Formats: sequence, C-alpha cells, structure tokens
Amino acid sequence: MTTRLKIEHVTQYRYDRDVILAQHLAYLRPQQTVWQTVTNHELFIDPPVDEFHTHTDAFGNPRCFFTISHPHRTLVVRGLSEVHKTERYAGLNLSNTPAWEDVRDGMVYALEQPFVWASEFVWPSPYVPWMEPLKEYSLESFTRNRPIGLASMDLCHRIYKDFTYESGSTEIHTPLDVAFANRKGVCQDFAHIMVGCLRALGLAAKYVSGYLLTKPAPGHVRLRGADASHAWASVYCPTAAGQWLELDPTNDTIADLDHVCLSQGRDFGDVSPLRGVIRGGGRHQLDIAVTVEPVDEAYLA
Amino acid sequence: MTQINTSDATAQPPSADDRAWLQYLDAALKAASPGHYDELRMPNGSLREPWQDFFATLGKDGLMRLPEAAKTVERVIEQNGITYNVFVDKQDLARPWSLNPIPMLIGAQEWQHIQASLSQRAKLLNKLVHDVYHERHLLSGAYLPSALVLGNPGYLHAMHQVDVPNDIYLHVVAFDLARDPHGQWWVIGQRTQSPSGLGYVLENRLIISRLFPQAYRDLRVQHLGASYRRLLTTLELQAQSIANGPVRFAFLTSGPYSETYFEHAYLARYLGIPLVEGPDLTVRNNEVFLKTVHGLQRIHGLVRRLDDDFCDSLELRTDSAIGVPGLLQAIRARKVVVANALGTGFLESPAIQGFLPSICEYMLNETLLMPSLHTWWCGETAAWQDVNPRLDSQVIKPTFANRQSTNFEPVIASLLDRDACDQWRARIGRQPDIYTTQTYLPFSQVPTFDGQMLEPKTAMMRFYALIGQDNEWHVLPGGMTRVAALDPHIVSIRGGGSTLDTWVISDGEVETFSMLPKNTAVERWRTNNELVSSRLAENLFWLGRYTERAEAMVRLAREALMLLSTNRVESLSTLNQAITDLAKFQNLVPFDSPSMSASPATFGSMLVRRLKDNSSGGLMDVVQSMQIAMRSVRDRLPAEHAEVPARVKSALLQEDTHHDMMRALEQVELPLAALVGYQLDRMTKDLGWRLLAAGRLLERLINQSQMITEFFGSAAVYTAQGFDSLLTLFDSAITYRTRYQQQQDIFALLDLIVLDEANPRALKASIAELIKQLSYLPDHERIVKLLPNFDRLKDSTTAILDLVKETTDVGIHVSDVISRQFFVHAAEQRFSS
Repeated sequence: MTTRLKIEHVTQYRYDRDVILAQHLAYLRPQQTVWQTVTNHELFIDPPVDEFHTHTDAFGNPRCFFTISHPHRTLVVRGLSEVHKTERYAGLNLSNTPAWEDVRDGMVYALEQPFVWASEFVWPSPYVPWMEPLKEYSLESFTRNRPIGLASMDLCHRIYKDFTYESGSTEIHTPLDVAFANRKGVCQDFAHIMVGCLRALGLAAKYVSGYLLTKPAPGHVRLRGADASHAWASVYCPTAAGQWLELDPTNDTIADLDHVCLSQGRDFGDVSPLRGVIRGGGRHQLDIAVTVEPVDEAYLA
Repeated sequence: MTQINTSDATAQPPSADDRAWLQYLDAALKAASPGHYDELRMPNGSLREPWQDFFATLGKDGLMRLPEAAKTVERVIEQNGITYNVFVDKQDLARPWSLNPIPMLIGAQEWQHIQASLSQRAKLLNKLVHDVYHERHLLSGAYLPSALVLGNPGYLHAMHQVDVPNDIYLHVVAFDLARDPHGQWWVIGQRTQSPSGLGYVLENRLIISRLFPQAYRDLRVQHLGASYRRLLTTLELQAQSIANGPVRFAFLTSGPYSETYFEHAYLARYLGIPLVEGPDLTVRNNEVFLKTVHGLQRIHGLVRRLDDDFCDSLELRTDSAIGVPGLLQAIRARKVVVANALGTGFLESPAIQGFLPSICEYMLNETLLMPSLHTWWCGETAAWQDVNPRLDSQVIKPTFANRQSTNFEPVIASLLDRDACDQWRARIGRQPDIYTTQTYLPFSQVPTFDGQMLEPKTAMMRFYALIGQDNEWHVLPGGMTRVAALDPHIVSIRGGGSTLDTWVISDGEVETFSMLPKNTAVERWRTNNELVSSRLAENLFWLGRYTERAEAMVRLAREALMLLSTNRVESLSTLNQAITDLAKFQNLVPFDSPSMSASPATFGSMLVRRLKDNSSGGLMDVVQSMQIAMRSVRDRLPAEHAEVPARVKSALLQEDTHHDMMRALEQVELPLAALVGYQLDRMTKDLGWRLLAAGRLLERLINQSQMITEFFGSAAVYTAQGFDSLLTLFDSAITYRTRYQQQQDIFALLDLIVLDEANPRALKASIAELIKQLSYLPDHERIVKLLPNFDRLKDSTTAILDLVKETTDVGIHVSDVISRQFFVHAAEQRFSS
C-alpha cells in the first residue's frame, strides 16, 4: 500500500518589540527513507533571512540554520512538504520478534561482543533521564522472554490507556517525572515516557518528530491548520523493517502510512521543529498551524 | 602587585658547621605517617636529594624566618586579591587562595618519567577523541563501551564528524598524579574540557620564587614562562591557518560567579588577550565577532573556560544565557580555533582510565608509561563481579559527575561499616553504569609549614601537558601540589585544602624566558590591546555613573540630616523645600513624604529608613548596582576597592538614629572618594576608562544642573543658609570663600558653579572634560553636538538658568544615545516550538 501526503506547517511568532537579531535552527524537512520519499519541500521565511545554511546532523536529520539580522516584529516560517509513503510494517508479525532480553543483552558492553550502533539510544538523554519508576512500569509489559514487538506494543497500549491526553497540560519544558506522576500530557510527553520506559530496561529507543494524518469526523470536512506537529517513539527491534519499530502511544498504533517522519533523535531537544535565540523582542505570541492531507484530497478541494 | 622582599642573601652555603643544624633539622622534621611514601626522606631517615639542597640553601636563618614567610604569603595573596570562589551561589564569598610557603620539589630524573608519561597520555587522549568523533574504531572494536562515550553527557553529538585545526582537540590537559607507598607514580584522573589551575600555578610561582630567590636559582628550578609562550604561539599558528592573516584571540570566561574567575582574569591579562563573556561575542556568517566600542571585531581563536554545554545556546543547553549562539556553526565551518575543542569532557570520567592500557597498545602501539589507578567501571558486568567482593578496598566514584542526577561525593568504602557497604552494593547493582570504583591508595606525604613547624601532609599533584608548534605535547615543568584539609584521599581545593608551588629541578640549563615585563609584577604582556568589549564598556560607564550618584546622594542625605538637627526655623522653608524636592528626585525619601518644613521628624525618619532599605531605588540600590558593575570589571580594580560597596552597605545598615546615621554617612564618604580617586588616577586610560569618566561626568551634569535649578527655583539660594548649602553640595565652599570671603553674591556663585572653567566642579568644566573623554570614542561628533554650550551665553542669570535647566534633560538623553551606540542592552531569549 502507498499513499501521498501533503503537509503545510506554519509557525508564526509575533513580538511586542523589535527583534534585533534572531538565530534559528529548524528541523522542518521530512526525512528521506526507504518508506518515505520526499517529493517536494519548500521553506518560506518572512522576513527575508540574512543567512541560511543547511546541514545534516549527527543522527542523519536534515536541518537548517537561518539568521535575521535586521529588526522585525513577526516571524513566519512556512514549510510545505509532499511525501510518498509505502507501507513499512506490512508483513510484520509482532509475536515473531526476538525476546526482549536477547535484544537488551546484545547491547551490553562486554569484550569480544560485536558492537550494535543502536546502543547509542540506550542511554539517558537531557529530556529523558533514568527513572526507577519507569522501569517498574514497563516491566509489566516486558515479561520474561516476551517478543520485543509484542511487549513494546503492549507498553504502547498501556501508556495510551493509563495516560490522559490533555493539550496544554504540559509545556515544552515539563520534566518527564512530572508528566509521569500526573499521568497526563501531550504527544511529546507520551513519546518521552515510552522512550524512557524502554531505555530503563536497557533497550534502545528514539524520539520521532513528525506529523499525523488525522481523519475528519464523519460528515465533516478537513479543517485546515487544525492539526499540530506530532511525536512518537521508535524501539530497536532487529527483525523489523529497518531494524526499528515505530509506535505511537498517543494513538495506540504502529506508526506507518499515516505518520510522516521529520527527524529522529534521543529526545525532543535534539529535533525540536523550530528553535531560536533572539535579541530584543520582549514578550512573544506563538501560533502554529499544521495541515496534513492526502494529495488526492488536496487536489479535489 | 606587591613585591616580596624576603631576601635570603645572608644564608650561607652548607659547611661542616651547618651539619649540626641539619641534624637538628632532621630531628625537627616529622616523618610521614606509616603506610605513606615520604617525599622528604628516604627510608633510612636521611633527606632526599632535592630537599637536602633546599634546606641547605635556605640555611638556619631561612628556616627560622619561615613564620614570617608564611605571613608574607598571606599578605601578598590578600593584597593581590587572589581568590577562589567556594560558594559560587553566594556571590560575595570569595575565599583567599591558600598557598603553603614550602614548595614541593621534584628531581630531574623523576621529572623525565613524568614528562614522558604525560605527553604520551595527552597524545593518546587526543587520538581517542578524534576516533570517537570520526571512525569510531574504539567503539566498534569494543575498546571503549558505548555508555562511556555516546551515553556520556560530555560527548557532544554536535561534534560528530567535525574537523578541528591540526586535529588538535586537547591543547591543555591536566593530570592528577599521586605516589603509592613504594614511590611509584599513578594517574588518578584527568581534566580535559577546560582544565583549571594554570593561572594559580603562575601566581603561586611568583610568590614562592620571590620568597626563596637563592634556593630558586641555586637548585636550578625550571621556569614556566616559555611553556605558556609556546602554547600561545601554537594557538596563534593554528588560528593563522584559518585566518590567512593576523589573528585575534579572546579568553572566554564563564563570568565573575565562576569558582576560578580570578585566574580567568589573571591568565587573560598574562596572555595579553581580552577577557570576554559569551554575550560579548556574536556569530555572523559562521564567523565569531567581539562586540566592541568600535563595532564588531573578528575573533579567530578562543581560549575557553566555559563548559561545553553552555557554549552554544542555540544548539546545546538552550536554557543557558551565557553561551554564544552559533559557535558550533563557526567551529564546523573551521572559522575559529577553540582551546580546548568542544566535546572532550567525556574523558574526565574516571571509568575511562580502566580502558586506556589496551587503547594505548591499539592506537600508539606502545605500553602506557604511567599506570592509572586500578579502575573498574561497574557497567561492565565482569568488572563489577570482579570488584564486588572487594568493594571495601575501593573508592566509589560517579562515572558521570558531569550530570547532576548521577553525581555524588566519592566514598571511601573502607571507612564504611558492613551494612553501609552492602547498601552501596545494592545501589550499584540497581544502576551499575553510573558507578566506577578505584583502588584506595595511600598517597605520598609532602612537608608543609603549618605556621609553627613542618608537618607532613597527604598530597596529590596536578601537572599540565600543553600542545606545541611541533604538534607534540610538552609538560609544563611545574605544577600544583594540593594537600588535603581533612580526608587525605579526597584532595580538593573546594573542600578546604591548600596548595604548594611545585618546583621541577633541572639538570641542565634553565630557560629563563619570562612573559612578565621587567620590573613590574603582572602587567599586560602586549599593550596593543585596545579592544574594549561593549559589555565591559557598559559596566564601566555605569560604574562611573553609580559611583558619582552614590557620592551625591551621601552628600545630600548628610546635608538634610544636618539641617534637621541644627535648624528648624520657619525662615528656612525655601531651603527645606529645595532639599525635600531634591531628596525625592534622588529617591532618598518616598515621593509622598512630607516636606522637611511640614514634618521634620517624619521626613527624618523616612530618610534614615530609606538609607537602609534595599528595594526602593535608594542609596542601597545604587551601591548594589555599583557592586554588580564592579564585579564585572573586577580584574581592572584592586581587591580592596571591591570591598567598598559592601563596607558602605554595612556601615549604613547598623545605624538607627539621625546622629549615628550622619556619622556613618561621613565615614562612607572617604572610601567612596578613594574609589573615585583610584578610578581617576590609577586605571589604564583606555577606551573603557574614557567611558567610565564619561559616565561619571554625565551623572554629575544631571545631578548638579538639577540642584541649581531647584535652589534657584525655590529661591533657597537667596537665603544665607541656602547659599551655603548649595556651595556645600557642590563641594565648592572653600573655593568660594577663598575668592569672595563672606560675600553673598549670587552672580559670583553662579559663575563659580556654572561658568568657571577653573573650578573642576563647575558645569562648564564638566562639559569640557566630558567632550575631551568622548573625543576618544568612535563617531563622537554627533554626541558632542548634543551637549549644551555655555560659551555663547550673555551674562544673564535667566539665560544661564535656562540652559542649566536644559542640561538635566540633555544629560539623560546623551546617556541614552551612548548606550544605544556602544552597548548591548537588549537581553537574549531562547525558545523552541
């Protein structure tokens, strides 16, 4: 199965006072993978930039730096992307994945043991510290010798069930332990918790930033800009396509055709879609509008 | 810098007669505690060679003068303001540096071993860093666990595949060494990110070499200057390779609140490069610039004393305000040399030590010349199983001290009881990665002088490997010996230990190159250093304004209190009104305070209360602001001046009554005047100083023009007391009396305080001086044009007073214009979405 998706991601900052100098870093270009071909990508920035550099980060994500060194009161960054997706996990049988302990042990350091590059994602990272309670929580899913695919899917399901999705309940910098203790958060927290749970067991897990194609309610048309950027988790599973299994605990699903991957890293801090350091500006107001739609639908509209 | 004049010229060379005292000395010198290697004596009790020579040269007199020498050391440290900020969060608690008068001596042969071993290690570590950021052979070949590299907060993903000039990451590496009971040297740990101590090493040497000049010469102690010079030359060469021309360096400090800020300032001055903080720098088109009074100036190299995490607030720690956004882009574009390179912090984990022997075999095809203390990283199951039964012979250390949540004070397991030890076993078992153990080793003991006698103390020595033009590492022939205050195994300066200058005895020629100019202690080595950063300029400008304002406020408060205590007659209402208004303007009393005439008692108590209040924008706040500005320019002011604001504050805080407060104000006038005097006469008159002077003069113009306007507007000046009062506030009473005796001539007064260019406190003289100082600044014409011109005035009181009135607003406006033109005043903020 394949699908073509079109994404518009508009970020707008409005400042109280002039920003004299703004330096930004954007992760807004979708990743090119075997299952996701970027057929078109354009980035419009207003006001015009004074410097623009593109670069690939240590995790292979495309990113760009831009600087605006003249005074401005608003910043609009509009990313337009079109991707062609093919189904990744079509033939995957979760019960037919290796026992999770075997995957874990393969990444433990010992002399003469072959090195597994995925082990880079076993360790705590700034937004996902090591927490004993996460381990206890995930051990309920990771019972003895359970296939890693099944256990991870079960963990994904439990997070979906046990945690309340509440927009505005957390901020970007809400620490993991707070979201975990309150059992609520947004997709970013769900993803961080899932990543933290997996790492607490010695498994490798990535944070994925991207978009999700949502289905309009029956009888309704798709509302433009009503979506948000999305985030989910990816667990190292040697037998899955590309050796990683992407799971979306916010929606209790495997991330596949409806999920568009922007970038992957250890946590949000590595791949936040747009960040910046500005001089001046005073207080700011932020508006984000995301639209994800099937290309056919877009042409019909 | 204070000179030391403890000459030991009278000391005699050792002769037969002296043997008696050497024997006496022998008896007086305590042996090291059992189980420790004795640096001073051989097992048979006789002194080791370098010490024999040292004490012989010192002579009996020298020995007897040790108490005096110890006091000299303390005095010099105090006078030079050498500090170590122990409690960084409590900003004012900088502790004097602790230095023992006895140097630690290292013989020539001993040194050869140390030098060879440490240059080998530095080379190895540098290769190791290159590998983990490029080919990663060490990871794929299991020479290093991924947890210690990729899982280490000190590993920077942002440096992956980044090339640095000449492949040099570690321009400076510090090694902590100790000796076991048999005298064998061991490496305890290493500092690779931005090693501290090179400044203190110099300062220690300056003091101790002057304490014992003859011993220093006769023992042929190796000098240090050439090593620093070589490091700087190497850095400059590296920068030239990317600059294609002349290069400029800056010393990037984490700021005045840093533990070791003293040495940042000291080293920057010694190396002759400007001391800057992150916000002083900006990155444009991948190039680094210093924001200066002369606009943006390209910087090609940074000697940094700022931790990795904080270096780039765009890519790294986004919650930090002290970094340079975009620095990593400049590094990746190879437009700047950073010493040390970013991303080397992971080497500081003690766990790394355990893997170095095989890495050395693999990378250099050599055996590690000096062993590391036996180290077990508990994250390796085999290692943890091996060391677990012997945990009580170990010191337990954090693998990742660089992450707050996994950091803890090292624990000596042998001091724990069985239960506590088992608790540690369980704790390690739960999360073994974050624990590392090292064998407990009784370190050697060195002689120290405790004020009365020589006392052996357990020591650890820090040495530095510095990169040279030949791309080899040279070990600085000297170092810092640290002795413990309490626990001998955990030697730390923070924990209250002390330091010893460390002399390396040469068996050849001594290289006597010095970076210090002759006859002066520490001055700028290069004087072509006219770059004044905008932030420094801003702080100096406001220091000028605040100092002047504090003086004016003290004078006005004193005048008000004096009037309240002496005269309460009705006829004084005009003067009372003028003083009341001025006191309100200057925030000495609240705006709704009754006037001095209406309610002298209320006014007085409000004044006294506000003088002690630190949240009302009053004198306390001005002094506080002065203190903050001084902290940022601290390396330009003598240490005793840094204390003036604190002294002013505490003097005022103690007083409650009018009378006592008046006396206190009188007392604080003197240190304030001394501060101004120093600023005027003794500071280097560079652009920064011009701005300090400009700040003071502008503040004076604003304040004095306001006083004149008020005294004339309220008609106070037409009363005898008012006339005197204005003269007092202008500090011009003596000048007036000399010229006009007791006459009360309004025009003479106005002439003296406004038009008289010979009176330094007259407005016109202040303006002339201000123009002179501004003329040194770039693009000054448009500022000078704004200033009032008293030349073209007719001798009309009204015309003069109009222009005086205008001067107040012009002064405030000019201050704004200067701020906009030369300073960075908008704060940076970060966000992500």
